[in-house]
Amino acid sequence: MDRPMFNPATYSMSHLVKERTRSLTMIVTISLTVAFLLLTSSLLFGVINEIGTSEKQGLLQGSIPGSIDMFETFQLDSELSERARNSLINYLMITSLIVFLVAFFIMYNTMAIAVKERRKEIGILRAVGFSTGEILKIFLVEGAMIGMISWIAALFLGTPFIVNLAAYLIERGDGGIFFVQPVIPPQLIAISLAVTLGLSLGSTYMAIIKPIRSSPVALMRTRI
Amino acid sequence: MDDGPFIKVDSVTKRYNMGHSTVNALNGMDLEIEEGEMVAIMGPSGSGKTTLLNMIGGLDSPDSGTIHIKGMEISSLNEGQRAQFRKNNVGFIFQFFNLIPSLTALENVLVPVMFDKDPPFERGVQLLERMGLKDRMGHIPGKLSGGERQRVAIARALINDPMLILADEPTGNIDSETAREIVSLFKELNDEGKTMLLATHDRIVAGRARSMIKVRDGHVVKGKAHSRSGMVHLSDEEKVKKKKRVVKG
Repeated sequence: MDRPMFNPATYSMSHLVKERTRSLTMIVTISLTVAFLLLTSSLLFGVINEIGTSEKQGLLQGSIPGSIDMFETFQLDSELSERARNSLINYLMITSLIVFLVAFFIMYNTMAIAVKERRKEIGILRAVGFSTGEILKIFLVEGAMIGMISWIAALFLGTPFIVNLAAYLIERGDGGIFFVQPVIPPQLIAISLAVTLGLSLGSTYMAIIKPIRSSPVALMRTRI
Repeated sequence: MDDGPFIKVDSVTKRYNMGHSTVNALNGMDLEIEEGEMVAIMGPSGSGKTTLLNMIGGLDSPDSGTIHIKGMEISSLNEGQRAQFRKNNVGFIFQFFNLIPSLTALENVLVPVMFDKDPPFERGVQLLERMGLKDRMGHIPGKLSGGERQRVAIARALINDPMLILADEPTGNIDSETAREIVSLFKELNDEGKTMLLATHDRIVAGRARSMIKVRDGHVVKGKAHSRSGMVHLSDEEKVKKKKRVVKG
């Protein structure tokens, strides 16, 4: 018989496949959240980028001798744009935070239901000698796998979608939410990965930490 | 390391809160079991058999009293130490098998060694072959009969080569023919030197054990006297009766 691949990672994977509907729900939730956060962040970077460019142009115009009126007009515009930028940044950040918290709540609840259904399994693992740390590792690996798949989906499906939709709407002359060209700098990709893993691992940890500390006897007594 | 008994349960008590009432599962239990014994623990439901096995196996800790296994006091270990003790020294067999439904028979056997750097895959295969499940290794528990599931559970209990095997109603959920085969397997394991404790209602199972103790209301009420060493294990109650007879005489 061939030696099977059997380790904590394949164990976690087999559960994700077995509970594919639930896994898919979590992946879709996180992907949409990350895609939305990418959209708001890219607009944020777009606003900063655009205002930065117009400020440079204004300074150039204002520095031309004899063009004092122009300079005053620019200062007024600059103050207005500063206020507009701040309120826009606040709006985008608050929206992002709300979306993040809602996604965290959905993830936590989905994970908590999954953990509740697997209480007996946790009890069996404890009975055969697994430490709480080892069981935590199994669940966090599952959370990380969901996070990584979601991040890849958000990045490779969500990002081109945002960029193409923005290009199309701006070209049509009715940009809608794309009042500026979205900008996705490399650091945003890294931040999005950290946010995704934070979302998936954080919700998994919160859902699992209490049950794995229960007595193995109580866990195994669970009737599903 | 220690010349005392292999298992020594000393004045152990355990209470469980069941809603508004408290149940005394173990009520000052005293017990000594020698190494290499095969002991059947009998008693009515709620008498404390399972709680006793859970305490000896380090699944639970007593409210008071001490439990020594091969000289090591396990009742004072913390949860992490107890997990390590269970992994290295104890094999559990349960009435409802407690297999993980999504894993194959072989994977279930390998679960306790999943985190090992080099899991003993060949040993898992050999154990399943010994259990007569050579052609069933790739089957999930749902595709196995009750007897086959129990054999997988036995193979899992043996994967770490434990010195102590604790079986809680191991034949409670299988037919009598399969039960006889399972008990024969237990006898084989005992002949190989494993110390075995079987909590059971089944008189046939109990009859094939080397010793038998009866438990009621959380303490030992009767200990049958035939151990390998020729040592007689008597419960406190019997000791008192014997003393009374001597006094009367």
